[in-house]
Amino acid sequence: MLSPMSRWSHTTGFRILGISGILAVLALGRLEGLTVADLLADAKLNPHRFANHFGDFDYEYADGVQPGDIFLSRRKGDCDDYAILADYVLTRHGFATRLIHVNLVGRTAHDICDVAQAKGYLDYNLRSYFRNVQGSGRTLREIADKVADSFDANWTSVSVYTYSYDEDVKHLTVTVVKTDPPSEDADRAPGR
Amino acid sequence: MDRAIRRILLFFGLISAVLVGVAVVAVRNINRSAAGADWVNHTHAVILEINGAVSDGMEAEGDLRTYVMTGDPRDRGAARQDLARMDEHLATARALTRREPAQNAEVQALADLEGRREALDARVMAARAAGADAAERVLVAGEGDEASLAAIRQAAGKLTDEEMQLLAERDTVAYVQAETTRWTVWIGVAVDVALLLGVAWVIRDALAARRRAERVLQDANAQLEDRVRQRTAELQAANQRLTTENLERRWANQALEHQLRYNLLIVNSISDAVFVLTKVLNISRINPAVVHLTGWEAQDLVNRPLTSVVRLEAGAGSEPLVDPLNQALKEGRDLRDQAAVAEDRRGRKVNVSLTLYPLQDKDKVVGGIVILRPREAKASP
Repeated sequence: MLSPMSRWSHTTGFRILGISGILAVLALGRLEGLTVADLLADAKLNPHRFANHFGDFDYEYADGVQPGDIFLSRRKGDCDDYAILADYVLTRHGFATRLIHVNLVGRTAHDICDVAQAKGYLDYNLRSYFRNVQGSGRTLREIADKVADSFDANWTSVSVYTYSYDEDVKHLTVTVVKTDPPSEDADRAPGR
Repeated sequence: MDRAIRRILLFFGLISAVLVGVAVVAVRNINRSAAGADWVNHTHAVILEINGAVSDGMEAEGDLRTYVMTGDPRDRGAARQDLARMDEHLATARALTRREPAQNAEVQALADLEGRREALDARVMAARAAGADAAERVLVAGEGDEASLAAIRQAAGKLTDEEMQLLAERDTVAYVQAETTRWTVWIGVAVDVALLLGVAWVIRDALAARRRAERVLQDANAQLEDRVRQRTAELQAANQRLTTENLERRWANQALEHQLRYNLLIVNSISDAVFVLTKVLNISRINPAVVHLTGWEAQDLVNRPLTSVVRLEAGAGSEPLVDPLNQALKEGRDLRDQAAVAEDRRGRKVNVSLTLYPLQDKDKVVGGIVILRPREAKASP
């Protein structure tokens, strides 16, 4: 049999534990339970706010593209998982986005999501920085230069592609080659 | 401006020009090298895309064959993913080679083969619904087609070989560019070093010239100092000599003065009236006896003709044609005890005996002395 004092202590302890547990569950639920639907439902979502959700995500390379919810629940992925999810979500929030694939020298390539309104792009490598939207020029060549700079590397070509989770196939729409004359770049309007 | 400074400035101007020139050429070469490196990277990228396309095509074949055997949709999905990546590689390769028509045509040919292979794969997948055997038959039949895996590998190999050739050529260009840059920089450095040596030589030359000039100046100063010392010594000697001469002259003057005073005393001590005359018989000096005799003071008589005081008495009642005093003086002979009449200040006449002694200096008559002695007095009117 427990003394009144012991009973009080146990009751208080349970209460504290209970409240802590609820808070932990809420916190974990908020963090781990983030879904694509949550992102789509966030009326205040913008590129910066979107990137803030991924500050503590880990990097894990994979050949294919993870579906958005799997990427969010696993909290790990690579550049195209992030760029494609950003493109998917931000497009639905009214942002003009482009999925861009930069081929660097060697087998390295890097995907980013360019957001016209932000005059910059979202890059998985910069997700944990305060400036998680990287400002850049608007041409593919300028964007490729900036991305390649962040790797201290040269680039060979840069492409805009489209992707849908349903089809799970990347379709290149425009490609700019570094050795081509910049004036002939496909994304440049004549006379620009 | 100093000539040496101008030359140094000229050298530094040349050095700066060479540096700027080398920098401009080097930056231009580096840009070209970067462009060359871009072309090398570009060629590597084409090779990688072709190899990637072939590799993904092969993986798609493997997954397809597995699907034919197992009928597992995941294998089918994997095959589709492989084919999608292959398409991606081919699209990139097409874009990379679009400015190289020959390579682009070959990439296109490879893409056509892959496309036909994809179509075959699609037929195999469709046939798999009817069973593994049917799919196998479609697959085997396709191997005889032009779009066989061997044909794809062959086309990819040919394209890769050509790209390798291009790679070698572009690498050579990049190497030559790098060599040019290296040579440009080294030649620039060598020229600058040569110019710096030139500057050093000019500075050394200028310093040597300045040292020479300094030595010459020092020598000139030393000579000047010697001359000043010599001149000072000469002046000191001359001064000493002058001092001595002055002393001697003073002594001589004192002696002369003494003699003159002595002579004056002698003249003044004579009780007869004495006139010292110039060559033209003007009175230049008198003794006190003259003052006593005539009543005239010395300042009254000096520079006056002797005849204003004394006159020789005329013989036989007529004036002689030639003044005997003047004549005697000219001839330098004495004229002794001549009867003469002196007239004093009050106009009284005194009979005197006149004696003239010419004063001669080196046989030349420079004046005369006239001495008057009273004669027996005659009553004057």
